Amino acid sequence: MGTDDMKLRELRDKIAIAGIGLSRFGKLPGVSAMGFALEAAKRAMEDGGVARDDIDGVLVLMPPVMGEQHGWGSRVAAYLGITPAFCATMDMGGATPIGMIQTAAMLIHAGMCRTVLCTFGCQNNPQGVIPMLFGSQFSIPYGDIGAITFMAHVGRRQMHEHGVKSEHYGAIAVAFRNHAATNPQAQKRERFTLEDHQQSRLIVDPLRLLDCCLVTDGGGACIVTSTERARDLPQPLCVVKGFGQVHSSEVIRPWDDGRGGGSEAAETAYRMAGVGPRDIQVVQLYDGFTPLVMHELSAYGFCKPDEAGPFVAAGNLELGGRLPANTAGGLLSEGHLSGFGHIAEGVRQIRGTSHSQVPGCEISMITGYGGAPHEPPPTVAYTVAILGKG
Amino acid sequence: MFQLDKPLPAINEDTAPYWEGTRAGELRAQRCADCAHLRFPPSILCPRCLSEHAEWQRLSGRGKIFTYIVVHRPQHPAFFSDAPYNVAIVELEEGLRTHTAIVGCANEDLRVGMPVEVVYEKIDDEVTLPKFKPVR
Repeated sequence: MGTDDMKLRELRDKIAIAGIGLSRFGKLPGVSAMGFALEAAKRAMEDGGVARDDIDGVLVLMPPVMGEQHGWGSRVAAYLGITPAFCATMDMGGATPIGMIQTAAMLIHAGMCRTVLCTFGCQNNPQGVIPMLFGSQFSIPYGDIGAITFMAHVGRRQMHEHGVKSEHYGAIAVAFRNHAATNPQAQKRERFTLEDHQQSRLIVDPLRLLDCCLVTDGGGACIVTSTERARDLPQPLCVVKGFGQVHSSEVIRPWDDGRGGGSEAAETAYRMAGVGPRDIQVVQLYDGFTPLVMHELSAYGFCKPDEAGPFVAAGNLELGGRLPANTAGGLLSEGHLSGFGHIAEGVRQIRGTSHSQVPGCEISMITGYGGAPHEPPPTVAYTVAILGKG
Repeated sequence: MFQLDKPLPAINEDTAPYWEGTRAGELRAQRCADCAHLRFPPSILCPRCLSEHAEWQRLSGRGKIFTYIVVHRPQHPAFFSDAPYNVAIVELEEGLRTHTAIVGCANEDLRVGMPVEVVYEKIDDEVTLPKFKPVR
């Protein structure tokens, strides 16, 4: 059972993220999901100096508001004029982009592909579309619908078990917005204070408006290839040192287990990379809602669950703190690109090109989270990747 | 005015005994006939031993609030007029946890750990939703 660490370590530093690209994003109701996916893919090719005809693998994230779209990945490849040797649509919500890097690494290591494009686009409009309901019999009839209600339950338990306060959530939101303020592409750049957070309206108590991610029309992409090939490409090398993934039934794990759901994803990534939480110089934590950030801090070994509130209140997630986090603003303030923003910023920190650059950054972490909180038992995927200069 | 019905459970073969139970004023869960593991939500097999043999058991209907939230901005239009409303996850005496709503208690007075017991709200001839009220 579990990972074969010897084989995993063979992959350390062998795979690189050669190109990153984000489409235009924000409130852009006129652009199609396909348009965003193609635009982001093109930006990633330009960024990496990767020729379209060198791409032989295509992985595409299923956009959350599209419902069933059979063959979505193949259609994206077709519109890009690519005939892939391997193509898949992947469906783990915000855990998918890092899951794609894992999949791309396997494809490249197995010789099935040489260069893999991972891309995504999402169009939330037309507004007024009723959220897709997945047939839950045991939560939706009570009006417990969507990721936000689940995260509000998680927040309530954090408050009860670990003394977390709404102000602690506010400290996370303020830190990420401060980072977004320096990111010219960020959807929300106006700084706010802890008081502003406390004054923002309740959406699902205990969560306030400023505890919630943005709604974003847009797309993101990255190009994964071998480190060997990436050395011949124009961008500074950014290698994948380690990655991990775990799926967890959340009714039990994050609340009953001291470490919480997701810890195995980071532990696998740490073992593969040969580093620990103290070696991480900057992290892009998947931040759909502030309690998720709080949860990840302890699940991934940065602090104990009871310390997470004081840890963020002390400003440790700010640039200059012990663990600068979400330096482009994250889902809370940069925009919700389902984790592709996290990949792009994690890579920029290694290249030394972030707008909130951590000086001398050699090791950067990115995380993903997503799944199906709408049907008890809520089931989610956690993904973690550790990037480095190689 | 534009009016939407609330989504009701799409009852199937796997879950029908649960909903038959609520119609009869009983909260039920499956107990594995091979390893005795008690499970919820319903499934055709035991997540502990994968046995396909199970029996439906009546639960006490008593428990404690494990977590609760108050929805001010519902994600589905059918619930707009109910807001603010609560949703709780109750931990039953038998250890199972179930989503529900707490009735007979102001949202401001809800607390984690509050003792509660089941009550039944008939929606139509097919669906009766179990809700919980504080034990006085």
